[in-house]
Amino acid sequence: MIRYVRLLRLFYRTELQYEFEYRLNLILEILQTIVVTATTVGAVLVLFSYTTVLNGWDLGAMLVLLGCFYLVQGFSELVLQPSFEKFMEHVRLGTLDFALLKPASAQFLVTLRHFRGVQITQLILGGIVVAVGLSRLPAVGIFEAVGFPIALLCGFTLVYAILLALSTLAFWFVRVDNLMAIYWAFMDAGRFPVDVYPGWLRVTLSSVVPIGIAVTVPAQVIAGRLDPLGLGVLILGTVAAFVLASRFWHIGLRSYTGASA
Amino acid sequence: MIRTYRALLVAQLQAVSQYRVQSVLWMLLEIIRPVIFLAAWVAVANSQGGQIGAYDVRDFAGYYISLTLVLQLVFSWNAYDFEYEVRLGRLSPKLVRPLHPIHYAVVENFVWKVTTFIPLVICLAVVILTFDARFRTTPAHLLLFVPSVLLGAAISFLSGWVLATTAFWTTRVHAVSTLWDRGLFIFAGMIAPLALLPGPLQAIALVLPFGYMLGVPAEILRGGIDVPTALLLMVGQAIWVVFFYIAFHRVWRAGVRQYSAVGA
Repeated sequence: MIRYVRLLRLFYRTELQYEFEYRLNLILEILQTIVVTATTVGAVLVLFSYTTVLNGWDLGAMLVLLGCFYLVQGFSELVLQPSFEKFMEHVRLGTLDFALLKPASAQFLVTLRHFRGVQITQLILGGIVVAVGLSRLPAVGIFEAVGFPIALLCGFTLVYAILLALSTLAFWFVRVDNLMAIYWAFMDAGRFPVDVYPGWLRVTLSSVVPIGIAVTVPAQVIAGRLDPLGLGVLILGTVAAFVLASRFWHIGLRSYTGASA
Repeated sequence: MIRTYRALLVAQLQAVSQYRVQSVLWMLLEIIRPVIFLAAWVAVANSQGGQIGAYDVRDFAGYYISLTLVLQLVFSWNAYDFEYEVRLGRLSPKLVRPLHPIHYAVVENFVWKVTTFIPLVICLAVVILTFDARFRTTPAHLLLFVPSVLLGAAISFLSGWVLATTAFWTTRVHAVSTLWDRGLFIFAGMIAPLALLPGPLQAIALVLPFGYMLGVPAEILRGGIDVPTALLLMVGQAIWVVFFYIAFHRVWRAGVRQYSAVGA
């Protein structure tokens, strides 16, 4: 375990060094992230200039939700997106061999190897938006304070599991970036509580692309809108999704043949 | 010129037919954001007893469906490819051909719109049924919609090229185009119909070009504004077309002189 933490540190240090080589680009990207977040908050404020509650979510709770959206999206763009993109490239070119031959878990090496440090901005902004939202809500109790990081971790893991399952398809179909594009499109829908959507979209966002769950549930927990039972179900569901996706990955790995094998 | 276009058209149709699934998927990407905001506005309207300003739930549905259709007809993505071509020096072979690169872009856009039109209409039909959309369109509106959407497409296309052409100097359009996209997001009628943007935002939206690309044709198609207002807004559209046409010519000419491919 400690070895893996040290490996992670090493990976991310080299990636950060690489990013700092292009300083102007880095600054531009940070500014872009700030503009994107600010305009999205602006869009929510426009909606709330006509109402005080949206499906039972008041402005404070809604900002918490939006913050959670940026935390989840930031996490996936920080680690998952770059790593999974590289993974699919490796499958296509047959260079996955290099990861498989190394003396560490291949799943770890493939899925957490790459890192786009600039996305830390998105995590920070998400945290700020959550904090602003919380300041408009009544004080947070013990259950909410403990439950929130757990629910958020579940959200991250759910996203990890679905992306792992989707990209595992690359072992058979090679070109799956289009499927991933669908995922990123639905991701966009996470910015509103999943219960505002019509039936078919709500079902998609809670099952096939569980982005609705990953964002809405943590926000519900900290806004005091979820009982312990709901959190328990989330934890169980997340563990199940993670185990299933990992199994699927191992099955897929067996049909990987390498470049000249 | 007609023969050139016919040849380009055939070539592009063949190229696109290799990636049928991909076309449909990209179309789904375009449709999802209007549906997200439609759902949000329906929730807002329901919390206010079903009516916001001049819009009830069914009007919102009509508006966002029109917007999706306009988005599909108006949107052009070539600016995003252009940065790539300049940075990698791939523009050079296109520059020495006897045809301005913009013609390739025109044909690519046209073919994309034609080939994705039927799946789009099917998707929109599902959304219309889900939200029970209402349209107040009269024949006069339909008549105005055709030139209005063409003007919108011209603004979008030409402004996209002006943005793309800045790649000659910066080779990094990405930052500029993000700002532009966010302007579209706020002011084009995506997050809210233009009539519902709060006070100052609405005034700004009427001055900027964004609303004239999407919001104006969408409201005309839905029949949400009367004919005199529509005509007035179309004059605004025409002004922006002229502006971006002149800007494109100026910037392009200066830019090509600036451009040198790696190894040139």
